[in-house]
Amino acid sequence: MKIKITIWHVLLMVSLLLSFFPLLWMISIAFKESSQVFSHILNPLPVPLTIEHFQHVWSTVPLLRYLGNSFFVSSVVTFFQLLTSLLAAYAFTQFQFKGREFLFYLVLASILIPIQVTMLPNYLLLSDLGLVNTYAGLILPQLANGLGVFLLRQSFRSIPSSILESARVDGAGDLKRLWTIMIPAVKPSVIALGILFFITTWNEYLWPLLVINDETKLTIPLAMQLFISTEGGTSWGPMMAMALLASIPPLVAYFLLQKHIISSFLHSGVK
Amino acid sequence: MSRVLTVPLPSLRGSLTSSPIFRKCKPYLFLLPALLPLILFIFAPLVRSLYLSMLSWNMVSPNPEWVGFANYQELLTSEEFWKSTVNTLKYAGCLLVFLLVLPFITAYSVTRVPIRVQNFYKTALFVPHVLSLAVASAIFLWLFNPVVGVLNELLSLVNISAINWLSSPTWALFSVSLIVAWNTFGYHFIILLAGILAVPGEIVESARLEGMKRHLGLLRRIIIPLCGPTLLFVFIMTVVMGIQFAFVPVQMLTNGGPNQETTHLVFLTYQYGFQFFRSGLASATAILTFGLFLILIIVQALLLDRRVHYEN
Repeated sequence: MKIKITIWHVLLMVSLLLSFFPLLWMISIAFKESSQVFSHILNPLPVPLTIEHFQHVWSTVPLLRYLGNSFFVSSVVTFFQLLTSLLAAYAFTQFQFKGREFLFYLVLASILIPIQVTMLPNYLLLSDLGLVNTYAGLILPQLANGLGVFLLRQSFRSIPSSILESARVDGAGDLKRLWTIMIPAVKPSVIALGILFFITTWNEYLWPLLVINDETKLTIPLAMQLFISTEGGTSWGPMMAMALLASIPPLVAYFLLQKHIISSFLHSGVK
Repeated sequence: MSRVLTVPLPSLRGSLTSSPIFRKCKPYLFLLPALLPLILFIFAPLVRSLYLSMLSWNMVSPNPEWVGFANYQELLTSEEFWKSTVNTLKYAGCLLVFLLVLPFITAYSVTRVPIRVQNFYKTALFVPHVLSLAVASAIFLWLFNPVVGVLNELLSLVNISAINWLSSPTWALFSVSLIVAWNTFGYHFIILLAGILAVPGEIVESARLEGMKRHLGLLRRIIIPLCGPTLLFVFIMTVVMGIQFAFVPVQMLTNGGPNQETTHLVFLTYQYGFQFFRSGLASATAILTFGLFLILIIVQALLLDRRVHYEN
């Protein structure tokens, strides 16, 4: 088989290079000796290799705690967003009721309202409730997601009516029907959406920045910010070691699930 | 009542769930868990923002003062507001190139190479999106560093003088956009690829048989119109989310500088609200930003609508 190198291949290789360029340098600097960081800038190979930067980060930053915080908050938010989206999408596709159109457009409109409009009132509300600086305050405003409702409604509508009819004959209750018929029928979309919610929450910055200032409750992005501001802009080795450590869990998860993730994105309504 | 009491338990339950009142309420019960948070934490705050924007208040004093449109007036005559607005539009422009045009071209390229290679690129190009923007900002802080950063070192190889990426007024906004672009590119690439792959192969083939050999024609006449809804979605994501994403490197690395060159409307809202404690001014900024986004989205939707072919 002859492989023809076309303009498309060239374009793709350039985007690939640009995508991995910063990552490779992060890894390189994390393992380089401090003196090498300043003198041999263009040499990406960390020779001699050192783990002093990792030891430094490990001894100064409670990283496991921060990873745990991020994991906890992201899991809870993902769970609730999926749950509320599934129930709402079920109602929009399986029931006839007064105000269905209006309520659906209301859900759609919520996607367009950006966080800068809601952050101040939400902060005031949570501070009245005494929830500033708590996980509850971090999680509470994110229990539902309009985009999730919209995308799952699209998926539910694509389920062949023959499948739905057979369930109706069985006389299954609504929740049972949702759980045993509808969710399995659109499983790839549910998984893709769950992953999307998780990544989004994991990477969230603005809302946690406002709500959390207790150092033990920081999530990973805030910990990264704190590290940069306390270490100053010069200890590059530790900074990259910290960046690398913070990225390992999501990267490992991604590589374990990558086939699933990408095909879910491509074949689900997430578009 | 007495009749209900005499029936055995299982059918009591049956009669309850099939009672007309319950059946009428059921759809709303399913909707409530989603609607309640949306109303409490998105729509109510929107209304409260409108109200707050008419007040002069420092968020602690017990007596906020009603000032009508004074906050809007102050904004519309302030230099920093206009600076932020212009910068926001610059960001939107930059990000539309990085996060709509380039990923679209890349996605189209992927459909033109053999399947096995396709799968590799799909997986690989998504990788940066898995990292958080805060981590990306840290990496780029080093890449951009004028003294030890690799970018300037590379430039010096081809005899281009050093660029102060994050601290020169000319480059700072572009550099911040670059961080956001690198982090989000893969996600938009996958969404756009899904859109392109959803275009039926027969349509593309028949267009090709009819002589539409050139990629540009194919893209313009067939693929772009058929991807209309996907393009609109990515456009909205780029404009609405992109500015929010740009908040991260700005807050972490530039603090709006140099000379307010990287500040934008979301960052300004944050500063007014959470650094200067002027809730009225912050809310007014937020409302005006929201209005600006809506206008951009409506214009884009109208432009696309002229050539979008909807499936149904």
